[in-house]
Amino acid sequence: MTVIKKSTVWICYLLGLLALPQFFDSVLAISIFNQMAIAIVFALSYNMLLGQGGMLSFGHAVYFGLGGFLAVHALVMIEFEILSFSIIWIPLVGGFIGLLAALFIGTFSTHKAGTVFAMISLGIGELIAASSLIFVSFFGGEAGISGDRTFGPPFFGIEWFQNLEIYYLAVAWVFIATLFMYFFTLTPAGKMANAVRDNPERAEFIGYSARRVRYITFCAAGFFAGIAGGLFALNYEFITEENLNAATSGRVLLSAYIGGLGYFIGPIIGAVVLTLMNSLLSNYSDLWMLYLGIMFLLTVLFLPRGFAGFIMMHQMVWAHGKIKSLVLPYLITGVPSFIFVIASVGLIELSHTDEAEFYYLGLNFDSTTAIDFILISIAVLAALFCIRKSLPQLRAAWESANEISDDDEKEAQS
Amino acid sequence: MSVLSLHDVTKNFGETEIIRGVSLNIERGEKHAIIGPNGAGKSTLFHLISGLYNVTGGSIKFKDKEIQNKKPYEISRLGLARSFQVTNIFARLNVFENVRCSLLWSSGYKYSFWHLLGRQKELNEKTLEVLEQIGLQDKKLTPAGELAYAHQRALELGIAIASGAEVIMLDEPVAGMSLTEAESAVELIHRITEGKTLIMVEHDMNIVFDVADRISVLVYGEVIACDKPENIRANTHVQEAYLGEVVTDA
Repeated sequence: MTVIKKSTVWICYLLGLLALPQFFDSVLAISIFNQMAIAIVFALSYNMLLGQGGMLSFGHAVYFGLGGFLAVHALVMIEFEILSFSIIWIPLVGGFIGLLAALFIGTFSTHKAGTVFAMISLGIGELIAASSLIFVSFFGGEAGISGDRTFGPPFFGIEWFQNLEIYYLAVAWVFIATLFMYFFTLTPAGKMANAVRDNPERAEFIGYSARRVRYITFCAAGFFAGIAGGLFALNYEFITEENLNAATSGRVLLSAYIGGLGYFIGPIIGAVVLTLMNSLLSNYSDLWMLYLGIMFLLTVLFLPRGFAGFIMMHQMVWAHGKIKSLVLPYLITGVPSFIFVIASVGLIELSHTDEAEFYYLGLNFDSTTAIDFILISIAVLAALFCIRKSLPQLRAAWESANEISDDDEKEAQS
Repeated sequence: MSVLSLHDVTKNFGETEIIRGVSLNIERGEKHAIIGPNGAGKSTLFHLISGLYNVTGGSIKFKDKEIQNKKPYEISRLGLARSFQVTNIFARLNVFENVRCSLLWSSGYKYSFWHLLGRQKELNEKTLEVLEQIGLQDKKLTPAGELAYAHQRALELGIAIASGAEVIMLDEPVAGMSLTEAESAVELIHRITEGKTLIMVEHDMNIVFDVADRISVLVYGEVIACDKPENIRANTHVQEAYLGEVVTDA
């Protein structure tokens, strides 16, 4: 099996992040990359809780949001010269506040995992979101609060007027945060988090308090969520109640889940996919939330281990060089699947539009008569039929590819 | 000298008395078996000693410290390890990680998030030694949840003994095994408990008489006899209450 060195992966990760603006340098692209950077750190911190620690949280945005709010306050204080330090340290302010909040809330929320933890996280989330509208002087009410990142001492002459400069700063933080979150999984505390996730009872019989293990993971997750919040504050220079409410908590859950909870890289994939959907798809359709919901549903049903899990499924087949035997079956199922998705989206959009003439994929449809509905519906059904017909051969191909792998394994061992 | 002593321990679940005044002294280095019919309270007794349940009354002393009603992790840290009747492992961690986790506390890592496990040479070597002892060195990268049953039982033992605890409690270590599997399991138990104190609950009388220096018979929450194997075999009370049918079966 070809083993790629871990350090190579990390260098590629860093170079990839640094190189992105070379390929796409529009204002929109940089703005999306910044969102991605924030989303990656946030989703990874969420995965520390759910994927590694087995704690399902519905209120992780609290630590992101509180970190963000304090970070904006810090920006304001720098502006009024109450504080004086370079804004490159702002994410650390966010992280510190996220950690403080987690240190406090964790004392009672990590007592149990499961439903108890989930309900407490939901309650805390609602509590903080409600408080943010009550304590106006701190949270700024519905308008939120805003700051200005261009004050404070310049960093090697950089004064942070451009989003691109912020992007490179974000890359540094994303890389450091990712590295540290990865290292955490390799430490005694990180490994025991997995053990407690799998079996809290047994963990206590090998000397570890399950509660203490959860508490440590919880605080680490709060810290990194706060760093993401600090990055948010730097990028947008304002923050509102929306950034710590249940919707934000829900979105980070979605991105971690869609990416794949069991894998370290999963939330990174999820964060990238969700950011792209959020910022690109929303330009084309008002219904992007619907598509996101459907995608989440399909992931839960058919790819319970997320996109990362789907990729990792092919590791064995790839290692034994059988991947070629899967290309054709994938194409035979993939093409009608693609048509199915395109046609279904067309049908949904056609039903949704209130204009008589509707342009989709360069074609002109008429939403006032039934005939176009029927035509697209036929396409949907035909594609569905082809998928169903092609599934058995895909399954057979998959099985034979894996079977051979098993034989090879035995040969290799003997 | 007793390493573990129970004094008049009782346990009620609501109105029901499950353990009714058990007193027991386990000597350092002895191999002690607890037998008794189903529902006699053997597993409950184990749960009381290891801290999973709180006692209703009485006291339990381990190395002269009172441990009744202490948390399982506190008791474990004092050097008392146990296995479970129903396999109780970390299913999504691999075999190596399972064993290494149970070595962490006794190796002094506590809740450290500043040591990288991959770099702890001594810890990883110790883990491999335990894996060799339990015969799972070839399976070290297999997720524990995917192991065959007998291998899971071996891992169950491995997790219990890895920490190097001086007192090891095994709850039906060969339950559900085939005859040959049970044989190698007994051999394993002999090997891993050498020089240690062993307390074992077991149904299979052949294994009990093979392993134990002393046997306690628990019936309806009371110890009706505690003696050497040959005396237990000869004890008419025990035969009436429990052994009679088993002996004639065998």
